[in-house]
Amino acid sequence: MRLRPLIMLAAASLLVSCGSSDAQKQRVLYSMDTYMTFTAYGENADKGLSAAADVISELDGKWSAENENSEINVVNIHPGQAVKVSTDTASLTAFAKDMYIITDGALDISLQSVVKEWGFTSLEHHIPDDARLASLLKNTGADRIEIKDDSVTIPEGMTIGLGSVAKGAAGDIAAEELKRQGVESAILDLGGNIRTVGVKPDGSEWKVGIRDPFGDGIFGVLLVGETNIVTSGGYERYFELDGKRYWHILDPETGRPAESGIVSATAVGAEGRYCDALSTSMFVMGKDKAIEFWRSRRDFDLILVTDSREVLISEPLKESFFLQDGCDWSVTVIE
Amino acid sequence: MIRNQRFWVAVAAFVFLSAVAASIILYFSRSESTVRIIQDGKVVTAFELEGHPDEELVFEYEGRKNIVEIKDGRLRMRSADCPDKLCERSGWCGKGSLPLICLPNRLVIEFTASDTDAVAR
Repeated sequence: MRLRPLIMLAAASLLVSCGSSDAQKQRVLYSMDTYMTFTAYGENADKGLSAAADVISELDGKWSAENENSEINVVNIHPGQAVKVSTDTASLTAFAKDMYIITDGALDISLQSVVKEWGFTSLEHHIPDDARLASLLKNTGADRIEIKDDSVTIPEGMTIGLGSVAKGAAGDIAAEELKRQGVESAILDLGGNIRTVGVKPDGSEWKVGIRDPFGDGIFGVLLVGETNIVTSGGYERYFELDGKRYWHILDPETGRPAESGIVSATAVGAEGRYCDALSTSMFVMGKDKAIEFWRSRRDFDLILVTDSREVLISEPLKESFFLQDGCDWSVTVIE
Repeated sequence: MIRNQRFWVAVAAFVFLSAVAASIILYFSRSESTVRIIQDGKVVTAFELEGHPDEELVFEYEGRKNIVEIKDGRLRMRSADCPDKLCERSGWCGKGSLPLICLPNRLVIEFTASDTDAVAR
């Protein structure tokens, strides 16, 4: 009888060592002009990842700027005509139009022709002259897009691109699919947009680093449950000419790379597409406007880094955000 | 009876100790690699960058080659058979969170920040 505790201890120790190698499954996808790493845990992980990968490739076919036959490009080659699209595409386009209005024009999906002019799509970079930019900007303004009954109409001369919202929306849809397949714990990296499902398999929170806009590593970490963390910075896609750096996030007003004093803008919240749109918008808005915007809404959280290495975080994050060891930047809590 | 009991104590102890050893090995083997190279969705190699001997690694995808050079604890894409050469322009990369990506050849070199679950960028 005295043996029983010993045997139970041995059995328990076996369980513990198996537990530490938890059923983690991972999948890497090359989609939406970037690469994505999906990690899921538990018995439904494989099934969930396959379903999520299918969903992503389907969305890529609808939203890709590179695929000529994508729904977005069909809309682009038929300006002035109502083009029937899927509900996913109509809904995302309508959302992006709303964001244009809400952000006072800081997020504009109709800037695609300007993005192209700079060479950010072909990678044949050059600096457009003022006259060229002025003429292209005459045809922008996402408030002029019409969406009705899953049909999208853009005015003559306009080209739209969903790059600033597609990955966020894809994260929302992929996370939903994972849950539908019974996955309770997963972390999705969609080209640097982070989407979590549930908490870690051991019940603890996810630890998500945020890229240092000045260097290689991370400047801070955020402890989170189920959420989205989306960061925009000038370090992701850019080119350099005569010692000056030109990044792909353009100011819709000038058609030039946004120089607002913000070098990294992170939005945290329940909806991926909203966070995706907001990280870009705040990068364009600059510190004061972004803070004013947050105060007027309070339905997301922010982490901003200015060019003078000041970190601004919204009040709800003050218990969950930590500067990386050795990072001595000042942190201001916005209330 | 006593012998029988000793036998089971020994079995229990053996199971317990092997489980402890397995846990330790599993725990440490996880944080060992700081860099992993993924091609076409599969991890082709993973290693610790610091103290890695200087070396050139060659990866092929659909007949196109990427040469990765490792030197003095850093790495770079020395050459890539792809139209954009974006990865070559990234230059030398140290340990951190920056991924080096050659999308046309589906090659990704990730620096895994070992103490985080993901990095937003």
